[in-house]
Amino acid sequence: MNNMSHQFPALIIAVPLLASLLTVPLGALNRRFCHPWLVFVTGFILCLSLGVAAHTITSGPMAYNMGGWEPPWGIAYRIDQLNALMLVLISGTALLGALYSGPSFAKELPGRQTYASALYLLMITSLLGIVITGDLFNIFVFLEISSLSAYGLIASGSPEAPFATFRYIIMGTIGASCYLLGVGYLYISTGSLNLADLSGLLPQLYHSRVVLTAGALMLVGLSLKMALFPLHAWLPEAYYTAPSTVSAVVASLYTKVAGYLMIRIIYNLFDSHFFVNIFPITTILSWAAVVALLIGSIYAIAQKDLKKMLCYSVIAQVGYIVLGIALVNKAGYSSAILTIVSEVCTKSCIFLATGAIIYRLGNSRIDNLQHLFRRMPYTMLAFTIGAFSMVGIPPTSGFFSKIYLLFACLEAGNWVFIFALLGSTILNVIYFFRVIKVACFEEPQPDYQRREAYPAVAVEEVPAAMLIPILLAATSIIAAGLGSHWIVNNFVQPLLKVVF
Amino acid sequence: MKVIILIFVILSGGLLIYGTMDMPAWGDPQSPANSYVSPRYIEEAYAKTETPNIVSAVLADYRGYDTMGETTVIFTAALVCAFLLRKNSDEDEDKS
Amino acid sequence: MLDFIIGKFNFWFYVILMAVGLFAMLAKRNLVKKLIGMNIFQTAIILFYVSIGVKKGNVHVPIIVGGHGHEGELIQAADYLNPLPHVLMLTAIVVSIATTGVALAIIIMIYRRYNTLNEDEIIEIRQKQLEAEV
Repeated sequence: MNNMSHQFPALIIAVPLLASLLTVPLGALNRRFCHPWLVFVTGFILCLSLGVAAHTITSGPMAYNMGGWEPPWGIAYRIDQLNALMLVLISGTALLGALYSGPSFAKELPGRQTYASALYLLMITSLLGIVITGDLFNIFVFLEISSLSAYGLIASGSPEAPFATFRYIIMGTIGASCYLLGVGYLYISTGSLNLADLSGLLPQLYHSRVVLTAGALMLVGLSLKMALFPLHAWLPEAYYTAPSTVSAVVASLYTKVAGYLMIRIIYNLFDSHFFVNIFPITTILSWAAVVALLIGSIYAIAQKDLKKMLCYSVIAQVGYIVLGIALVNKAGYSSAILTIVSEVCTKSCIFLATGAIIYRLGNSRIDNLQHLFRRMPYTMLAFTIGAFSMVGIPPTSGFFSKIYLLFACLEAGNWVFIFALLGSTILNVIYFFRVIKVACFEEPQPDYQRREAYPAVAVEEVPAAMLIPILLAATSIIAAGLGSHWIVNNFVQPLLKVVF
Repeated sequence: MKVIILIFVILSGGLLIYGTMDMPAWGDPQSPANSYVSPRYIEEAYAKTETPNIVSAVLADYRGYDTMGETTVIFTAALVCAFLLRKNSDEDEDKS
Repeated sequence: MLDFIIGKFNFWFYVILMAVGLFAMLAKRNLVKKLIGMNIFQTAIILFYVSIGVKKGNVHVPIIVGGHGHEGELIQAADYLNPLPHVLMLTAIVVSIATTGVALAIIIMIYRRYNTLNEDEIIEIRQKQLEAEV
């Protein structure tokens, strides 16, 4: 048994990859097999990820050499607490999305579930591959698999989707190419591609212009991938036009995985002193993040469509993550990780709930949401919890991540950031409570001449396969909020010792 | 618009050139890229993998995991094309 | 200065090629031209990587001279080109082809819907559709 658990890191990639190959013949046999198959596979990966996470908590980082070649020559995994946390988040969201995909794919992609399911598994494989590997070039390969599967799944959405996807392709390719160039610049100045190896080699080269350019290129590439403020234009349209399941999984995972890579590059590949003392690109990043969290919220208020509003709020949330990363202090680092955790739970909850609304109503225009609390009580309950978390009301996870971010800003002593943070919270309140107001309180003008009773509003919830993941996601928001102390103690503290 | 893009492109090209100023000259056998990891591939690959072609040995063995990712990329692209371009694949499946 | 230009001319070529690709990607209005720009851009990166692996002097391509049957002979690293950039670029070429394929599939979908590939015209059509909905 103990021997087996050493193979978990390799299995986390191998299982979903093989499963996605098998999905095609299985779906050709009978399309109905796809849904249980997806749930089974993603559930299995979640168990593996939890096993790995438990191992890193109890006995520290795990190492795994692919094919038995030792690190700078072969490709190696080195799974510390951050990797383990990301693995659990990704596989958990994958399970929720897989449960949800059954009715959702059947309605939005009728007859095409087989390929959609196979691509879904490839998407999950590649995201897991990005967060588990310790080799810079390997990250690029998996980044491209994740982008390609996302392009395919997004383009299958509404008729407007292909054009939005094309813009995403152009921007995504520039981003990935910038990252690849950055890796090349590091390779030419050190000769290595392994993350742990490079972090030992780079400090002697911090004044080389090649290394400075490499750092800038990699961060620009990732900013494009995660849609940080001036480079965000491709995101809302692409996420808006995607099918519900896809936009839920993509919106909750893609920008966060890019955020994870940014943490790795700023804190592990380079070290925090480099960015504070030698190359103050983090200052630029933090200002971009502050503008992002204000602009994203302002755009969100301007939207008349619920799903589009959420897409703009993704941009605002990227601002929170990047601000936490770019402040380069302990509270900021913790807040970045907590925001990633909170965002994955919140965004999946809120996007899945929106998908359910679209499933019932056919669209998500905010004006159409009247009586929704009576028609879909459970969905709207989950939506409200998600909205509370976005605003930052205790005991949801959003509250704790924002508190840490506030501490980080106080520690940095920058009052502009603090005001921006509070301002964007107020904007969040405005755009979410507008939705809740329409769905809960808005009545048509009462007709006083009318004698007979108004027709009752029937409860018409979505199928259980869609409702369960929504409620699970809502529970995870509360759990991540109440458990945030546990997360900080078990995952963040050991990391802080390494990076600061 | 085109003028702005042109200026932007020239600026980013300038940044890349700036980065190359500290790079080792072209073809320098002593550069870090040529002297840190790669010599061991050249010296050991034949003994360890029995493959005279070192590129193949590294591609399929030392960094075989990358190559698995590469084939997955192709598989993904094929799936995406089939997924997007086949019109209502189930209809012809149901008929047959 | 001359030393800088001649000693690193490979980087100059790749930067020029990259600038051409980037310009085409951002400034051209036709989607296929954008895609061609993307290909040029990726080719520039491939050129950059491959040029890292060069060693000057009397050096062989990274295939052991004589092939099988030379087990006993000592292999000198200085006699062969650096194989690693070639390996990485094989992967990058495949990635670039796959991206092109997916982008072409999406271009076909765009053409089926709008009957044009000019970005400005597509935006105009979408604007009209939005107005018709409201």
